[in-house]
Amino acid sequence: MEVLTPEVWVDIGRYVGAGLALGLGGIGAAIGMGMAAASANEATMRQPVVQGHLMRTMLIGQAVGGSPSIFALVVGLLIFYMPVSPEEIGLPKAAALAGAGLAIGMGCLGSGVGCGWPASAACAGVARNPKRVTGIMSLMIIGQAMAQSPSIFATVISLILLFRPVTAIGMAGVGVAIGAGIAMGAGALGPGIGSGTTAGGALRGVSNWPRSQGITLRTMLIGQAVSQTPAIFGLLVAFIMMFALADLEPTIVNFAKTIGAGIAVGLGGIGPGIGSGLAGETACLASATRPRLDALVLRTMLIGQAVSQSTAIYALIVALILIYLV
Amino acid sequence: MDASIMAAIVQAVAAQPEEVAASAIEGVDVIKAGALIGAGICMGFGAIGPGIGEGFAAGKACEAIGRSPENAGLLTRTMLIGQAVSESTGIYALVVALVILFGVVLGG
Repeated sequence: MEVLTPEVWVDIGRYVGAGLALGLGGIGAAIGMGMAAASANEATMRQPVVQGHLMRTMLIGQAVGGSPSIFALVVGLLIFYMPVSPEEIGLPKAAALAGAGLAIGMGCLGSGVGCGWPASAACAGVARNPKRVTGIMSLMIIGQAMAQSPSIFATVISLILLFRPVTAIGMAGVGVAIGAGIAMGAGALGPGIGSGTTAGGALRGVSNWPRSQGITLRTMLIGQAVSQTPAIFGLLVAFIMMFALADLEPTIVNFAKTIGAGIAVGLGGIGPGIGSGLAGETACLASATRPRLDALVLRTMLIGQAVSQSTAIYALIVALILIYLV
Repeated sequence: MDASIMAAIVQAVAAQPEEVAASAIEGVDVIKAGALIGAGICMGFGAIGPGIGEGFAAGKACEAIGRSPENAGLLTRTMLIGQAVSESTGIYALVVALVILFGVVLGG
């Protein structure tokens, strides 16, 4: 059985990792850009007079929203062409290449979709309120930048997985790399989408009630920050796995516990991220409509988001028990 | 897939590196490993639904408080009750994951 030599495993890891990075990473940005274009078309049909403004808003929104897919492209190419030193060739390095692809692919999927909401709401808003095009566009860029931070976390983790020498050996090394990839990738998916829906709500509110831009911006930033907590849990668990579990025994139990912890905290972050974003979306709309009720709306949003985050905290607890007590 | 390639993959995954291959994998370890991954899947998937559902409830509560702020107390209470019910499946997932972890793995 000379078919599956360590060199072949590293090549398999490269192909799988680059495929996951580019395939998954492209989905999100494509959906997001499509949302922006659809909304811009509709807005141009309603208000052909401002088509110059609309075209500019759509293109800027798409350019900013496309950057997660560019992160995925860069990391995917790195995975594909990165030289691997001879002493590192083996199954753990192959798993690190595939895990980096998982992290960046899923992480960029969420942020790419998320950036579509502010871009499409901004196009609709410019058509409704063409005089406020500068304010709407700057709020769109702030919202999109916030929605991209989960994809930046994912980029950091995938670069560490690629460039840090593999220390854990055998099956433990495979588990650590794939587990860290799932924890960060899936953990960034929900927060990316959730931050995007919050920004979309803020833009809809501000384009209808431009006077409450300052208050809406504050509600949006707080809502987005809370909806990104699951991504930070994913980042934390990925760091713990990569740096604190470097000398695990290469047994099947250690393999299973790292994969299990990654699945728990990663998938567990999807729902709370999206849910907090939905709460943030309507809270932004409410504080734009009635700026005087801002404190009450903010309080309700924070209570609702805190309850919605509780499942992410359960997932973090289960992951930490898996890592430290088993 | 060719059966011999399948066997090679299983062998390579299970016996890396070669010096560890001497301590063969026992059935107990496989059960334990399955339980650990199962606990992770249980809590991970179990957290998706409650998270999204509670977000819907919170969003509608914000909208309603924006419309009729005089009922804020009533609306917050309704939101919390709805969220608590929606949370129950997340708690079931947590309980099952903890039973797997402490009962199956740490207990025996």
